[in-house]
Amino acid sequence: MAVEVWLLITVILGFAMAWAIGANDAANSMSTAVGAKAITPKQAVIIAGLLEFTGAYFFGKSVTETIRKGILDPTMITDPNVLIYGSVAALLAATLWLVIATKFGLPVSTTHSIIGGIAGYGIVYAGTAIVNWGKMTQVVLSWILSPIVGAIMAYFIFKALTKSIFERKDPVRSARIWSPFWIGLAFVVIGTMFYIKVLHGKDLKTGVFMYGVPLGIVVFFVTYVLIKLRFPSSDPFIGVEAIFRKVQVITSGYVALAHGANDVANAIGPVAAVYAVATMGLSGMQVPVPKWILALGGLGIAVGVATYGYRVMETVGKKITELTNTRGFTIDFSAATVVLVASWMGLPISTTHTVVGAVIGVGLARGVKAINKNIVRDIIISWFITVPVAGLISAAIFKFLMIVG
Amino acid sequence: MQVWTKLFAKSPFKPLIKHSEVVLNTVETLEKALQRWYDGDYEEMRKIAVEVDRLEDVADRIKEEIRDSLSSKLMMAVAREDVLIYLHMQDKVADAAEDTAKWLLIREPGELPVEVKEVILQMGMESIKAAKLVHEAIVQMDRVIESGFADGEISKEYEIIRQIESVENKIDGLDTKLMQLVFENTEKMSWGDGFYILNIARTLSNISDKAKDAAERIRLMMNK
Repeated sequence: MAVEVWLLITVILGFAMAWAIGANDAANSMSTAVGAKAITPKQAVIIAGLLEFTGAYFFGKSVTETIRKGILDPTMITDPNVLIYGSVAALLAATLWLVIATKFGLPVSTTHSIIGGIAGYGIVYAGTAIVNWGKMTQVVLSWILSPIVGAIMAYFIFKALTKSIFERKDPVRSARIWSPFWIGLAFVVIGTMFYIKVLHGKDLKTGVFMYGVPLGIVVFFVTYVLIKLRFPSSDPFIGVEAIFRKVQVITSGYVALAHGANDVANAIGPVAAVYAVATMGLSGMQVPVPKWILALGGLGIAVGVATYGYRVMETVGKKITELTNTRGFTIDFSAATVVLVASWMGLPISTTHTVVGAVIGVGLARGVKAINKNIVRDIIISWFITVPVAGLISAAIFKFLMIVG
Repeated sequence: MQVWTKLFAKSPFKPLIKHSEVVLNTVETLEKALQRWYDGDYEEMRKIAVEVDRLEDVADRIKEEIRDSLSSKLMMAVAREDVLIYLHMQDKVADAAEDTAKWLLIREPGELPVEVKEVILQMGMESIKAAKLVHEAIVQMDRVIESGFADGEISKEYEIIRQIESVENKIDGLDTKLMQLVFENTEKMSWGDGFYILNIARTLSNISDKAKDAAERIRLMMNK
């Protein structure tokens, strides 16, 4: 078959995978807000669709590059067909494994699946030496570390949030001062990430002090004035929750953005690899990811959210009733920060697992009344099995394509 | 990957509050029965005492439901054992109320000295206080968790626990007073009257005893 036909096939597969990410994963990014009744499922679908696309299109590039050429050593692939068949195998394997896992109710990560798929075909082709183990170790470490970092961060943010507001002598008064502070802090991170991801700044210090901190201060004062004018209640609990309900719309949007930035790569990384071969041959390893492929991934995710994510969000909204807005804020803030920092470093991490880590962190701070330990255990198991299983499926498909093709 | 819908388990606290509402209701109904008993309106008293029995059944059923849902697969803000023992004690409050109702149903009293009847009625009123405070305590416990274990909310909780202990003390005092009264009035009452009245007193003071035990468990929940 001609390379163009294969490109078309990977584009379709990539789009399908993006759709699946949107349908299932993206809903998780808005779940805390829907569960805490900050927004309706319908609003969540619109916000998530738009922001997932934005995240994927503007911020998705560095992770996509990692998926495209960071896992396997490109100099060891001499046959262009290998890259094509491999990408198809990886995409198919990841999608297949996702479908199987979903059937058994296993919360597997799309990120882990695709990386397993890529490593799987690479090893079949050229043995373990082709895998960039340095990068792979880094990636796997980030999977283990990101939930832990998410949990630690959420633990301390939640502790600090309650200490600064609820434990004061006059909680209403401290809520007026401290709520804007926490909201401002969230925007320091958002501003810094804007500098790094949108303006492609390199210096973290410049990002923090020129963009993050000024934005945070502006948001602090705006929120401060708004709250000063009208604090929602004389009861600090009701008042603080009412404030954070509004803020949570923004922070979960922030998670959706981070999710789009990080997870779009799972669907379109392999597409980008095939595109490079199709346009430039093997020298195409140098070709940067074109914008239209990022847009394709973003669109796929957005369509997934719109066509199927709605149902997911509705069930979520009905089932998580134990989540208050301050907790939702804490989880969103911690998870999105970890995911954005990771995607800035080009590390593909699992958004879901980071969010789950943050939930556990709030739970450890005795903020969430009851967490299902079994699900936590399932998630941890899925970390360990997803990569090898997706790898095996991908290896089999790759072998088949090499023989047939 | 709908982790969300499964990750969060149902909190046991709302059902605990519901259970304590029923317990409170049981004790309140018992107090009404005691009032009729004091007035000598035994027919009405019997009807109300039967209602006490029914409410205790309702509490039992809620207790079973909570127990079934509280598996060890949960990671909770408080220790599971504390919740289960607390629930057991809270349920015992309703049990004690039912025991009193049983004694009321078992026989009509003879001519009892009015001061004896007064002490019984007082004990009934105090036990309502105990049950009310237990309800307040579990509502406040929910609040303690809601606030992320804020000191202010914890000290409010301690205050409620202190009040429960003081009510228990008061009922103990009344119990002793009643024992003295029974033996002071041996000429005016039969052996059976004495046995009957002392058992009512014992079950009534049980109400506050169990309330105190429940409060003790709440204290433990906060000191994880």
